[in-house]
Amino acid sequence: MSTAGQTVVVTPGRRLGLAQEYESGIGTYVRNGMIYSSILGTRKIKEPTGDSTNDKETSTNKPVLYVERDNAKFAIPVVGCEVLGRVVRINPRAASVAIMMVGPVPCQEDFLGMVRVQDIRATEKDTVVMVESFKPGDIIRAEVISLGDQRSYFLSTTKNEHGVVFAQSSDGNTMVPVSWEEMQDPETLAIEKRKCAKTF
Amino acid sequence: MATNIQDRKRINGPTRSVEPISTAEPVEPFASGRLDGRALDQVRPIFMKTGSLDSQASAQAAPSGSAYYEQGKIRISCAVYGPRQGRKSNAKMGIFSCDFKYTPFSCSWRKSHIKSSDEKEISLILEQAVAPAIRLELYPKACVDAFITVIESDGKAATIAAAINCISAALVDAGIELYDSVAATSMALNGTQWISDCTQIEEDSTSCSLLVARMPSADEVAYILQHGKTKIEQTEEGFQACVNACTKVYAVMCRYLQGSM
Repeated sequence: MSTAGQTVVVTPGRRLGLAQEYESGIGTYVRNGMIYSSILGTRKIKEPTGDSTNDKETSTNKPVLYVERDNAKFAIPVVGCEVLGRVVRINPRAASVAIMMVGPVPCQEDFLGMVRVQDIRATEKDTVVMVESFKPGDIIRAEVISLGDQRSYFLSTTKNEHGVVFAQSSDGNTMVPVSWEEMQDPETLAIEKRKCAKTF
Repeated sequence: MATNIQDRKRINGPTRSVEPISTAEPVEPFASGRLDGRALDQVRPIFMKTGSLDSQASAQAAPSGSAYYEQGKIRISCAVYGPRQGRKSNAKMGIFSCDFKYTPFSCSWRKSHIKSSDEKEISLILEQAVAPAIRLELYPKACVDAFITVIESDGKAATIAAAINCISAALVDAGIELYDSVAATSMALNGTQWISDCTQIEEDSTSCSLLVARMPSADEVAYILQHGKTKIEQTEEGFQACVNACTKVYAVMCRYLQGSM
Protein backbone atom coordinates (compact mmCIF):
# COMPACT_ATOMS: atom_id res chain seq x y z
CA MET A 1 0.00 0.00 0.00
CA SER A 2 1.40 3.42 -0.88
CA THR A 3 1.90 5.92 1.91
CA ALA A 4 0.22 9.30 1.72
CA GLY A 5 2.12 11.63 -0.64
CA GLN A 6 3.90 8.86 -2.55
CA THR A 7 2.67 8.59 -6.12
CA VAL A 8 2.66 5.18 -7.73
CA VAL A 9 2.72 5.06 -11.51
CA VAL A 10 0.68 2.10 -12.74
CA THR A 11 0.44 0.42 -16.11
CA PRO A 12 -2.66 -1.34 -17.49
CA GLY A 13 -3.29 -4.64 -15.78
CA ARG A 14 -1.65 -3.66 -12.49
CA ARG A 15 -3.47 -4.69 -9.34
CA LEU A 16 -4.59 -1.67 -7.32
CA GLY A 17 -6.67 -3.00 -4.46
CA LEU A 18 -9.53 -5.19 -3.32
CA ALA A 19 -13.05 -4.54 -4.56
CA GLN A 20 -14.24 -5.00 -0.97
CA GLU A 21 -12.25 -2.05 0.33
CA TYR A 22 -12.58 0.39 -2.58
CA GLU A 23 -14.98 1.48 -5.29
CA SER A 24 -13.54 1.32 -8.79
CA GLY A 25 -13.26 4.80 -10.33
CA ILE A 26 -12.14 5.98 -13.75
CA GLY A 27 -9.31 4.14 -15.40
CA THR A 28 -9.96 0.92 -13.48
CA TYR A 29 -11.91 -2.29 -13.84
CA VAL A 30 -12.88 -5.11 -11.48
CA ARG A 31 -12.08 -8.76 -12.03
CA ASN A 32 -12.39 -11.60 -9.52
CA GLY A 33 -12.82 -9.23 -6.62
CA MET A 34 -9.69 -7.20 -7.42
CA ILE A 35 -9.48 -3.72 -8.90
CA TYR A 36 -7.02 -3.44 -11.80
CA SER A 37 -5.83 -0.37 -13.61
CA SER A 38 -6.75 0.02 -17.27
CA ILE A 39 -4.63 3.03 -18.26
CA LEU A 40 -1.15 4.40 -17.60
CA GLY A 41 -1.29 6.93 -14.79
CA THR A 42 -0.92 7.55 -11.08
CA ARG A 43 -2.91 5.59 -8.54
CA LYS A 44 -5.10 7.90 -6.48
CA ILE A 45 -7.66 7.46 -3.77
CA LYS A 46 -10.58 9.77 -3.18
CA GLU A 47 -11.93 9.57 0.33
CA PRO A 48 -15.72 9.47 0.60
CA THR A 49 -17.26 12.80 1.57
CA GLY A 50 -19.23 12.82 4.80
CA ASP A 51 -22.36 14.44 3.37
CA SER A 52 -23.16 12.66 0.15
CA THR A 53 -26.69 13.38 -0.92
CA ASN A 54 -26.91 12.31 -4.52
CA ASP A 55 -23.65 10.53 -5.26
CA LYS A 56 -24.38 6.85 -5.75
CA GLU A 57 -20.73 5.83 -5.50
CA THR A 58 -19.98 7.20 -2.09
CA SER A 59 -23.28 6.14 -0.62
CA THR A 60 -21.63 2.88 0.29
CA ASN A 61 -18.94 4.93 2.09
CA LYS A 62 -16.03 3.22 0.40
CA PRO A 63 -13.14 5.36 -0.87
CA VAL A 64 -12.90 5.55 -4.65
CA LEU A 65 -9.76 4.11 -6.23
CA TYR A 66 -8.97 5.66 -9.57
CA VAL A 67 -6.09 6.21 -11.96
CA GLU A 68 -5.31 9.74 -13.03
CA ARG A 69 -3.60 10.72 -16.23
CA ASP A 70 -2.13 14.16 -16.70
CA ASN A 71 -2.52 14.77 -20.41
CA ALA A 72 -6.14 14.96 -21.47
CA LYS A 73 -6.90 12.25 -23.96
CA PHE A 74 -9.67 12.26 -26.46
CA ALA A 75 -13.30 11.57 -25.68
CA ILE A 76 -16.16 9.95 -27.54
CA PRO A 77 -19.80 11.01 -27.23
CA VAL A 78 -21.76 9.05 -24.66
CA VAL A 79 -25.54 9.05 -24.24
CA GLY A 80 -26.51 11.82 -21.84
CA CYS A 81 -23.36 13.92 -22.15
CA GLU A 82 -23.23 17.54 -23.26
CA VAL A 83 -21.41 18.21 -26.52
CA LEU A 84 -20.25 21.28 -28.39
CA GLY A 85 -20.52 21.15 -32.14
CA ARG A 86 -20.62 23.11 -35.34
CA VAL A 87 -23.61 23.01 -37.67
CA VAL A 88 -22.41 21.72 -41.01
CA ARG A 89 -25.56 21.29 -43.10
CA ILE A 90 -29.22 21.90 -42.64
CA ASN A 91 -32.26 20.53 -44.38
CA PRO A 92 -35.90 20.92 -43.35
CA ARG A 93 -35.84 17.66 -41.42
CA ALA A 94 -32.50 17.68 -39.63
CA ALA A 95 -29.29 19.56 -39.02
CA SER A 96 -25.90 17.83 -39.37
CA VAL A 97 -23.50 18.75 -36.59
CA ALA A 98 -19.75 18.09 -36.38
CA ILE A 99 -19.19 17.24 -32.71
CA MET A 100 -15.96 18.87 -31.61
CA MET A 101 -15.97 18.52 -27.83
CA VAL A 102 -17.55 16.21 -25.31
CA GLY A 103 -17.85 18.11 -22.05
CA PRO A 104 -14.44 19.70 -21.46
CA VAL A 105 -12.49 17.13 -23.50
CA PRO A 106 -11.93 17.54 -27.25
CA CYS A 107 -12.48 14.79 -29.79
CA GLN A 108 -9.57 13.69 -31.91
CA GLU A 109 -11.64 13.86 -35.06
CA ASP A 110 -15.06 15.43 -35.39
CA PHE A 111 -17.84 12.95 -34.79
CA LEU A 112 -20.97 13.31 -36.84
CA GLY A 113 -24.21 14.12 -35.07
CA MET A 114 -27.68 15.06 -36.16
CA VAL A 115 -30.35 17.25 -34.58
CA ARG A 116 -33.73 16.22 -35.91
CA VAL A 117 -36.29 18.97 -36.28
CA GLN A 118 -38.48 17.53 -33.51
CA ASP A 119 -35.55 17.61 -31.06
CA ILE A 120 -34.76 21.30 -31.41
CA ARG A 121 -37.40 22.69 -29.09
CA ALA A 122 -39.32 21.29 -26.16
CA THR A 123 -42.62 22.94 -27.02
CA GLU A 124 -44.56 23.23 -30.32
CA LYS A 125 -42.37 20.64 -31.97
CA ASP A 126 -44.46 20.40 -35.12
CA THR A 127 -44.19 24.11 -35.99
CA VAL A 128 -40.41 24.36 -35.80
CA VAL A 129 -38.74 25.80 -38.92
CA MET A 130 -35.12 24.78 -39.40
CA VAL A 131 -33.85 28.04 -40.95
CA GLU A 132 -35.22 29.91 -37.95
CA SER A 133 -33.33 27.67 -35.50
CA PHE A 134 -29.87 26.93 -36.91
CA LYS A 135 -27.75 28.05 -39.80
CA PRO A 136 -24.56 26.40 -41.11
CA GLY A 137 -21.52 27.64 -39.20
CA ASP A 138 -23.31 28.10 -35.87
CA ILE A 139 -21.71 26.63 -32.78
CA ILE A 140 -24.28 24.80 -30.71
CA ARG A 141 -24.36 23.08 -27.35
CA ALA A 142 -26.49 19.93 -27.36
CA GLU A 143 -27.06 16.71 -25.51
CA VAL A 144 -26.56 13.23 -26.92
CA ILE A 145 -29.89 11.42 -26.73
CA SER A 146 -28.94 8.21 -28.51
CA LEU A 147 -26.20 6.47 -30.43
CA GLY A 148 -28.26 6.99 -33.54
CA ASP A 149 -27.88 5.21 -36.82
CA GLN A 150 -24.75 4.02 -38.55
CA ARG A 151 -23.49 7.42 -39.51
CA SER A 152 -24.45 9.90 -36.84
CA TYR A 153 -25.31 10.34 -33.20
CA PHE A 154 -28.68 11.88 -32.36
CA LEU A 155 -28.54 15.16 -30.47
CA SER A 156 -31.17 17.36 -28.92
CA THR A 157 -31.29 21.03 -27.97
CA THR A 158 -34.62 20.96 -26.13
CA LYS A 159 -33.20 22.14 -22.82
CA ASN A 160 -32.95 25.82 -22.09
CA GLU A 161 -29.19 25.80 -21.73
CA HIS A 162 -28.76 24.06 -25.09
CA GLY A 163 -28.89 25.73 -28.49
CA VAL A 164 -26.81 28.23 -30.39
CA VAL A 165 -23.96 29.69 -28.30
CA PHE A 166 -22.13 31.49 -31.07
CA ALA A 167 -23.30 32.63 -34.49
CA GLN A 168 -22.30 35.14 -37.10
CA SER A 169 -24.78 37.34 -38.92
CA SER A 170 -24.97 37.47 -42.69
CA ASP A 171 -22.74 40.59 -42.52
CA GLY A 172 -20.06 38.59 -40.71
CA ASN A 173 -20.39 40.08 -37.22
CA THR A 174 -20.72 38.05 -34.06
CA MET A 175 -24.32 38.21 -32.89
CA VAL A 176 -25.59 38.65 -29.34
CA PRO A 177 -28.64 36.72 -28.09
CA VAL A 178 -31.57 38.96 -27.16
CA SER A 179 -34.13 36.27 -26.36
CA TRP A 180 -34.44 32.51 -26.62
CA GLU A 181 -35.32 32.76 -30.30
CA GLU A 182 -33.57 35.88 -31.53
CA MET A 183 -30.00 37.10 -31.97
CA GLN A 184 -28.94 40.61 -32.88
CA ASP A 185 -25.98 41.93 -34.84
CA PRO A 186 -24.53 44.70 -32.63
CA GLU A 187 -23.37 46.81 -35.61
CA THR A 188 -26.21 46.67 -38.10
CA LEU A 189 -28.83 45.99 -35.38
CA ALA A 190 -30.41 43.37 -37.64
CA ILE A 191 -32.25 40.58 -35.86
CA GLU A 192 -31.88 36.97 -36.95
CA LYS A 193 -33.85 34.04 -35.62
CA ARG A 194 -32.00 31.23 -33.87
CA LYS A 195 -32.77 28.81 -31.05
CA CYS A 196 -30.42 30.37 -28.50
CA ALA A 197 -28.84 28.74 -25.47
CA LYS A 198 -29.55 30.38 -22.15
CA THR A 199 -25.97 30.84 -21.02
CA PHE A 200 -26.60 33.31 -18.25
CA MET B 1 23.80 -36.75 -79.14
CA ALA B 2 26.88 -34.87 -80.23
CA THR B 3 27.56 -31.83 -78.07
CA ASN B 4 29.35 -29.87 -80.77
CA ILE B 5 26.22 -29.50 -82.98
CA GLN B 6 24.90 -26.00 -82.30
CA ASP B 7 21.28 -24.90 -82.60
CA ARG B 8 21.59 -21.80 -84.71
CA LYS B 9 17.95 -20.78 -84.45
CA ARG B 10 18.03 -20.07 -80.71
CA ILE B 11 20.28 -18.22 -78.33
CA ASN B 12 22.28 -20.95 -76.66
CA GLY B 13 23.60 -21.11 -73.15
CA PRO B 14 27.12 -22.26 -72.34
CA THR B 15 27.87 -25.79 -73.53
CA ARG B 16 29.87 -26.61 -70.43
CA SER B 17 28.22 -26.50 -67.00
CA VAL B 18 30.20 -25.69 -63.85
CA GLU B 19 29.21 -25.87 -60.18
CA PRO B 20 28.62 -22.41 -58.63
CA ILE B 21 31.25 -21.33 -56.16
CA SER B 22 29.71 -20.52 -52.78
CA THR B 23 31.40 -17.56 -51.14
CA ALA B 24 29.39 -17.64 -47.91
CA GLU B 25 30.91 -19.42 -44.96
CA PRO B 26 28.79 -22.34 -43.80
CA VAL B 27 26.88 -21.00 -40.78
CA GLU B 28 26.42 -23.30 -37.80
CA PRO B 29 24.81 -21.11 -35.16
CA PHE B 30 23.65 -23.76 -32.74
CA ALA B 31 26.58 -26.10 -32.52
CA SER B 32 28.88 -23.60 -30.82
CA GLY B 33 26.31 -21.15 -29.40
CA ARG B 34 24.30 -18.49 -31.24
CA LEU B 35 25.87 -15.97 -33.56
CA ASP B 36 25.33 -13.05 -31.24
CA GLY B 37 26.29 -15.01 -28.15
CA ARG B 38 22.80 -15.24 -26.62
CA ALA B 39 21.52 -18.16 -24.60
CA LEU B 40 18.84 -20.36 -26.16
CA ASP B 41 16.07 -18.76 -24.13
CA GLN B 42 17.35 -15.20 -24.24
CA VAL B 43 15.40 -12.50 -26.03
CA ARG B 44 17.19 -9.69 -27.88
CA PRO B 45 17.65 -6.42 -25.96
CA ILE B 46 14.59 -4.19 -26.20
CA PHE B 47 14.39 -0.41 -26.50
CA MET B 48 11.09 1.43 -26.45
CA LYS B 49 9.98 5.03 -26.67
CA THR B 50 6.40 6.29 -26.59
CA GLY B 51 5.12 9.61 -27.84
CA SER B 52 7.62 9.70 -30.70
CA LEU B 53 5.04 11.01 -33.22
CA ASP B 54 3.45 13.62 -30.98
CA SER B 55 4.58 16.73 -32.81
CA GLN B 56 3.19 17.06 -36.29
CA ALA B 57 2.63 19.90 -38.73
CA SER B 58 -1.04 20.17 -37.77
CA ALA B 59 -2.61 19.15 -34.50
CA GLN B 60 -5.26 17.20 -36.41
CA ALA B 61 -2.69 14.92 -38.00
CA ALA B 62 -1.03 13.96 -34.73
CA PRO B 63 -1.97 10.46 -33.56
CA SER B 64 -3.49 9.86 -30.12
CA GLY B 65 -0.56 7.66 -29.20
CA SER B 66 2.61 6.38 -30.77
CA ALA B 67 5.52 4.11 -29.97
CA TYR B 68 8.92 3.26 -31.41
CA TYR B 69 10.20 -0.20 -30.61
CA GLU B 70 13.58 -1.85 -31.18
CA GLN B 71 14.49 -5.45 -30.49
CA GLY B 72 17.97 -6.27 -31.70
CA LYS B 73 17.95 -5.14 -35.31
CA ILE B 74 14.15 -5.05 -35.57
CA ARG B 75 12.81 -1.50 -35.69
CA ILE B 76 9.08 -0.79 -35.69
CA SER B 77 7.02 2.37 -35.37
CA CYS B 78 3.33 2.41 -34.53
CA ALA B 79 0.76 5.21 -34.53
CA VAL B 80 -2.67 4.83 -32.91
CA TYR B 81 -5.58 7.03 -33.94
CA GLY B 82 -8.71 7.03 -31.89
CA PRO B 83 -11.20 6.68 -30.55
CA ARG B 84 -12.73 8.30 -33.57
CA GLN B 85 -15.81 7.88 -35.75
CA GLY B 86 -15.89 4.42 -37.23
CA ARG B 87 -16.60 3.61 -40.83
CA LYS B 88 -18.57 0.50 -40.01
CA SER B 89 -19.98 1.44 -36.66
CA ASN B 90 -21.09 -1.16 -34.18
CA ALA B 91 -23.59 0.06 -31.63
CA LYS B 92 -22.31 -2.15 -28.84
CA MET B 93 -18.53 -2.24 -29.12
CA GLY B 94 -15.78 -0.28 -30.76
CA ILE B 95 -13.83 -1.68 -33.68
CA PHE B 96 -10.08 -2.15 -33.60
CA SER B 97 -8.21 -2.32 -36.89
CA CYS B 98 -4.52 -2.68 -37.70
CA ASP B 99 -2.62 -1.65 -40.79
CA PHE B 100 0.74 -3.39 -41.10
CA LYS B 101 3.29 -2.39 -43.71
CA TYR B 102 6.90 -3.26 -44.38
CA THR B 103 8.90 -0.32 -45.68
CA PRO B 104 10.53 -1.27 -48.99
CA PHE B 105 14.00 -1.27 -47.39
CA SER B 106 13.13 -3.28 -44.28
CA CYS B 107 13.84 -6.83 -45.45
CA SER B 108 16.73 -8.36 -47.32
CA TRP B 109 14.61 -8.39 -50.50
CA ARG B 110 13.00 -5.11 -51.47
CA LYS B 111 9.28 -4.99 -50.75
CA SER B 112 6.74 -3.39 -53.05
CA HIS B 113 5.06 -0.19 -51.95
CA ILE B 114 1.70 -1.83 -52.62
CA LYS B 115 0.47 -3.88 -49.71
CA SER B 116 0.94 -7.58 -50.40
CA SER B 117 -1.27 -10.42 -49.20
CA ASP B 118 1.38 -11.29 -46.62
CA GLU B 119 1.06 -7.85 -45.03
CA LYS B 120 -2.73 -8.08 -45.08
CA GLU B 121 -2.53 -11.43 -43.32
CA ILE B 122 -0.19 -10.03 -40.68
CA SER B 123 -2.58 -7.09 -40.20
CA LEU B 124 -5.34 -9.57 -39.34
CA ILE B 125 -3.01 -11.48 -37.02
CA LEU B 126 -2.18 -8.29 -35.14
CA GLU B 127 -5.85 -7.34 -34.88
CA GLN B 128 -6.76 -10.72 -33.42
CA ALA B 129 -3.82 -10.69 -31.04
CA VAL B 130 -4.35 -7.22 -29.57
CA ALA B 131 -8.15 -6.74 -29.74
CA PRO B 132 -8.87 -8.98 -26.69
CA ALA B 133 -6.85 -6.61 -24.51
CA ILE B 134 -8.81 -3.47 -25.40
CA ARG B 135 -11.96 -2.53 -23.49
CA LEU B 136 -13.91 -1.99 -26.69
CA GLU B 137 -17.24 -1.92 -24.89
CA LEU B 138 -16.30 1.53 -23.61
CA TYR B 139 -16.07 2.90 -27.15
CA PRO B 140 -19.35 2.03 -28.89
CA LYS B 141 -19.68 3.28 -32.47
CA ALA B 142 -16.06 4.43 -32.42
CA CYS B 143 -13.00 2.84 -33.94
CA VAL B 144 -9.39 2.61 -32.88
CA ASP B 145 -6.88 2.38 -35.73
CA ALA B 146 -3.27 1.27 -35.37
CA PHE B 147 -0.77 1.83 -38.18
CA ILE B 148 2.41 -0.21 -37.96
CA THR B 149 5.46 0.53 -40.08
CA VAL B 150 8.38 -1.89 -39.99
CA ILE B 151 11.52 0.12 -40.52
CA GLU B 152 13.82 -2.88 -40.28
CA SER B 153 12.87 -6.53 -40.00
CA ASP B 154 14.96 -9.45 -38.74
CA GLY B 155 13.12 -12.76 -38.57
CA LYS B 156 9.45 -12.89 -39.60
CA ALA B 157 7.98 -14.39 -36.43
CA ALA B 158 10.14 -12.11 -34.28
CA THR B 159 8.99 -9.07 -36.27
CA ILE B 160 5.32 -9.95 -35.74
CA ALA B 161 5.99 -10.40 -32.01
CA ALA B 162 7.76 -7.04 -31.90
CA ALA B 163 4.83 -5.43 -33.76
CA ILE B 164 2.42 -6.73 -31.11
CA ASN B 165 4.56 -5.24 -28.34
CA CYS B 166 4.81 -1.96 -30.22
CA ILE B 167 1.02 -1.71 -30.68
CA SER B 168 0.50 -2.37 -26.96
CA ALA B 169 2.86 0.44 -26.06
CA ALA B 170 1.21 2.84 -28.52
CA LEU B 171 -2.27 1.99 -27.18
CA VAL B 172 -1.10 2.68 -23.63
CA ASP B 173 0.37 5.99 -24.79
CA ALA B 174 -2.94 6.87 -26.49
CA GLY B 175 -4.78 6.44 -23.20
CA ILE B 176 -7.06 3.75 -24.64
CA GLU B 177 -8.40 1.62 -21.79
CA LEU B 178 -6.89 -1.85 -21.82
CA TYR B 179 -7.37 -4.91 -19.67
CA ASP B 180 -3.62 -5.45 -19.88
CA SER B 181 -0.69 -4.84 -22.21
CA VAL B 182 -0.03 -7.66 -24.62
CA ALA B 183 3.52 -9.06 -24.61
CA ALA B 184 4.57 -11.41 -27.39
CA THR B 185 7.63 -13.51 -28.14
CA SER B 186 8.53 -16.04 -30.79
CA MET B 187 10.47 -19.28 -30.80
CA ALA B 188 11.76 -21.48 -33.58
CA LEU B 189 12.45 -25.19 -33.60
CA ASN B 190 15.83 -26.40 -34.81
CA GLY B 191 15.83 -30.18 -34.72
CA THR B 192 14.59 -30.76 -31.19
CA GLN B 193 15.70 -27.50 -29.64
CA TRP B 194 13.51 -24.41 -29.22
CA ILE B 195 15.49 -21.25 -29.88
CA SER B 196 14.00 -18.02 -28.61
CA ASP B 197 13.65 -14.84 -30.71
CA CYS B 198 15.42 -15.93 -33.88
CA THR B 199 17.07 -13.56 -36.31
CA GLN B 200 16.51 -14.06 -40.04
CA ILE B 201 19.67 -16.13 -40.43
CA GLU B 202 18.68 -18.40 -37.54
CA GLU B 203 15.09 -18.65 -38.74
CA ASP B 204 16.17 -19.77 -42.21
CA SER B 205 17.69 -22.94 -40.78
CA THR B 206 14.73 -23.86 -38.56
CA SER B 207 11.75 -26.01 -39.44
CA CYS B 208 8.99 -24.47 -37.36
CA SER B 209 8.23 -21.16 -35.66
CA LEU B 210 5.87 -20.44 -32.79
CA LEU B 211 4.52 -17.05 -31.73
CA VAL B 212 2.70 -16.54 -28.44
CA ALA B 213 1.00 -13.29 -27.37
CA ARG B 214 0.09 -13.15 -23.72
CA MET B 215 -1.61 -10.90 -21.15
CA PRO B 216 0.35 -11.72 -17.99
CA SER B 217 -1.89 -9.91 -15.52
CA ALA B 218 -4.83 -12.18 -16.26
CA ASP B 219 -2.52 -15.06 -17.17
CA GLU B 220 -4.35 -15.34 -20.47
CA VAL B 221 -3.02 -16.14 -23.90
CA ALA B 222 -4.24 -13.73 -26.56
CA TYR B 223 -2.82 -15.42 -29.66
CA ILE B 224 -0.78 -18.45 -30.73
CA LEU B 225 0.62 -18.79 -34.24
CA GLN B 226 2.59 -21.77 -35.43
CA HIS B 227 4.23 -22.22 -38.81
CA GLY B 228 5.51 -25.68 -39.56
CA LYS B 229 5.10 -29.22 -38.28
CA THR B 230 5.86 -30.41 -34.77
CA LYS B 231 4.82 -33.16 -32.42
CA ILE B 232 2.30 -32.18 -29.75
CA GLU B 233 4.88 -32.48 -26.95
CA GLN B 234 7.26 -30.23 -28.83
CA THR B 235 4.56 -27.57 -29.22
CA GLU B 236 3.75 -27.77 -25.53
CA GLU B 237 7.41 -27.41 -24.64
CA GLY B 238 7.82 -24.46 -27.00
CA PHE B 239 4.64 -22.86 -25.69
CA GLN B 240 5.85 -23.05 -22.10
CA ALA B 241 9.19 -21.53 -23.03
CA CYS B 242 7.38 -18.72 -24.89
CA VAL B 243 5.17 -18.01 -21.88
CA ASN B 244 8.25 -17.57 -19.67
CA ALA B 245 9.86 -15.27 -22.21
CA CYS B 246 6.64 -13.23 -22.52
CA THR B 247 6.70 -12.50 -18.81
CA LYS B 248 10.20 -11.04 -19.12
CA VAL B 249 9.23 -8.93 -22.14
CA TYR B 250 6.16 -7.66 -20.25
CA ALA B 251 8.34 -6.59 -17.32
CA VAL B 252 10.61 -4.62 -19.67
CA MET B 253 7.62 -2.97 -21.37
CA CYS B 254 6.06 -1.93 -18.05
CA ARG B 255 9.33 -0.44 -16.87
CA TYR B 256 9.62 1.67 -20.01
CA LEU B 257 5.98 2.79 -19.77
CA GLN B 258 6.32 3.76 -16.13
CA GLY B 259 9.48 5.67 -16.91
CA SER B 260 7.77 7.58 -19.71
CA MET B 261 5.34 9.32 -17.34
